[in-house]
Amino acid sequence: MEQKENRQSGERTPCSVALVQRRSKSYRQSYRSCLGATSRLFTPGHATRRLNSSRRAPRPRDIKEQLDPGVLSLLTRTEWQLSYVTPLFQFRHTRLKSYARQLSAFMAAERQQGVAVEVQGEEHTYRGRFSLLPGLVEGEGEAEAVLIQLWSRPAFSRADAAEKPVWSGWFSCVRGGDDYLRSLPPDFVGLPLFCSSGAESLTATVKAWFSRHFDCSFGALPLDQDTLQWVAALWANCHLEADLRHLTLLWEIPVSPPLKVSYAVEPLDAWTLWSGVRRAPSAVEEGVIGVGEVEEFVQELKRHFHRHFRLQLSAGNLTQVSSGLGAAKSSGRVKISSSRYLVSTLSLLTECALLKMPI
Amino acid sequence: MDDVTRRLLQRIVRRIPSQMLRPMLEKWGRLQQKQLGSIDFSLPKIAITEHLLSICQEKGWGTKHITELELLYVIDNPNVGLWHAFQLVDPEDDALMVEMMQFKEQFKSNLNKLVQNVSIKFKKHTDEAIWIRLAWGESFSKPNHFTPTFVVHHLQSSYVFMNNVNSKKKPLLYQALVLATRYQSIKHANLSGRKLHGIRDLLMKQYEQVFPSKFPSHIPERTEDKEKANNPLIEREQSASSSNRLQLACEAFGEGKLPEIQSAVYRLETKFRGQSKNMAQSKEPFKCVVTFSSTNLLESLRNCASSGIASTPVVPSATHVTYICGCVYGLSAHPFSRVRFGTWGVTPKGTLQTSAQSYPFSVFAVENRRRRRSHPE
Repeated sequence: MEQKENRQSGERTPCSVALVQRRSKSYRQSYRSCLGATSRLFTPGHATRRLNSSRRAPRPRDIKEQLDPGVLSLLTRTEWQLSYVTPLFQFRHTRLKSYARQLSAFMAAERQQGVAVEVQGEEHTYRGRFSLLPGLVEGEGEAEAVLIQLWSRPAFSRADAAEKPVWSGWFSCVRGGDDYLRSLPPDFVGLPLFCSSGAESLTATVKAWFSRHFDCSFGALPLDQDTLQWVAALWANCHLEADLRHLTLLWEIPVSPPLKVSYAVEPLDAWTLWSGVRRAPSAVEEGVIGVGEVEEFVQELKRHFHRHFRLQLSAGNLTQVSSGLGAAKSSGRVKISSSRYLVSTLSLLTECALLKMPI
Repeated sequence: MDDVTRRLLQRIVRRIPSQMLRPMLEKWGRLQQKQLGSIDFSLPKIAITEHLLSICQEKGWGTKHITELELLYVIDNPNVGLWHAFQLVDPEDDALMVEMMQFKEQFKSNLNKLVQNVSIKFKKHTDEAIWIRLAWGESFSKPNHFTPTFVVHHLQSSYVFMNNVNSKKKPLLYQALVLATRYQSIKHANLSGRKLHGIRDLLMKQYEQVFPSKFPSHIPERTEDKEKANNPLIEREQSASSSNRLQLACEAFGEGKLPEIQSAVYRLETKFRGQSKNMAQSKEPFKCVVTFSSTNLLESLRNCASSGIASTPVVPSATHVTYICGCVYGLSAHPFSRVRFGTWGVTPKGTLQTSAQSYPFSVFAVENRRRRRSHPE
């Protein structure tokens, strides 16, 4: 047994990880300096923008009075697919009714393209409805969020059956950055985050209508590792005020067959670790979290795992973060289960959308 | 021919894939050659079902005969639903001498005493396993053949595998098994999986445990390493370390085909050792639950070890799936941590709850027979 323990693996792993294996005191100092270097390495070559290196701690905000309870439950119970959208040209919040009519007509027209017109029977039409979502803004100058729903009678139902929403989507802009909003030319409205839920074909049709009418383009918004780490840290931070229930991170290790490691931490322990990692409040501005703290938090969790299983989680990709407050996946699907933290989570996602936008 | 039989036959024919239909019917053996020849297997399944129904009606076959066919199909393709492994404990003196006929009679009589209206079917498989198909009925209703329970018992071994057992009928089934096999009690072996052969091979050590003495000096090429692999200098540099890793991985897991299990759950309650001061000062252990899941878990772990993602030598906690068993176990190589199953768990929905039991039943924790790890020297 001893012989085996002495035989260490000679594999050269990425620099921040290799330093973890040494157990001397000096590795901690060298590790910290390496951490600064690696974060600089993550800067993409062509853009100088990165996710903000610090942000305010999320505060709970009660938006229940401002929103219809039905709408609120829709927002918090659905899993949304994220996309970014470039600024919309001449989008007026006052003309929502006419937009709804135009969208319905467009949906009907798209359905009839290349399809034989039915002789009898009601067409499976979609009725579009636009509505405002008040209260989902953080600063001045930000456009109000807009909710779009497509209602339709279920297939094979009677003529007088009630219509049900089959597709929902909404635009929002939370803390979009004053510089960005001011830099937009007049007549352009910035609503960079688009969330959709429903059939892919309907999503594509709605996107096509928007891009035709408002001269904008959509793109997929996958969440990368940094964003997911921020989500995990921000949620851990909320433990005192909200019931986190658990904090689960899911990694996918690229071996064959692929191995999924799900690491669920008890919320109190996660919060204790997080508060330990955060620097003393006197050193930095109160309520501001830095990226170093976030990375340290996740690194500590990985180290604890490594101590037991000797498996490097950094070799895999963080694909999902979930807790009682919601779930975020790297494919761009999010679910925000808590209405109080909806706005603060949206601000992080808006920032990601702005970052991804090809301006 | 009653409705139940008709529906049962339809369901079975729908389940069996088209290309397997003919071999299955041949194996069943009840159809004569010319009847089998008269069925046109290229027709859609509905037509084949109708044909079979007419043959069954002609011969006067009922549910009893149809369920034979289902049992045969499940024996060949046991990957339906979730299989749970159980172990019989405390054998009586004549436990090892129980024979098939004795077991059958005892089991049948015991179960019929305990439960009314249960339909039992036995089949002995070539590898000394007895397959039992059970259809449960209530006091005044006929057995429900649409949700059968399958039980596999290897005679002369103490293992039983079950699939789809109703929680209400569980204790009765256990009682009947325990009496028929001449043991005193039965307990969950803490091994569950989708593939019967995987959990059976793991539990009964029937997989190839090949420990080669020679290891190739280069690991098999992966597509992303093509450029590196073609470069002889890199190969030479990496050869020593990669063969070392491969050797240690094979020592831990063996080289042959590994039994397929899907997941393992570890509940950790250990002291957190990190850089943050408040974690070091806190006396409470750091609680977390780690779940490994994959289509073939052991293969993934072995691959992790040989590719360097897991440091070698492989820690006991990763290999304990093949070696150590027991609810409470300690990692002797790491004296500071005591890994044990704690008092809280994560249910499938992801909410944490405290449970009074120290080891909840429904978790896919992997356990195995204790075995002393033989030293290579």
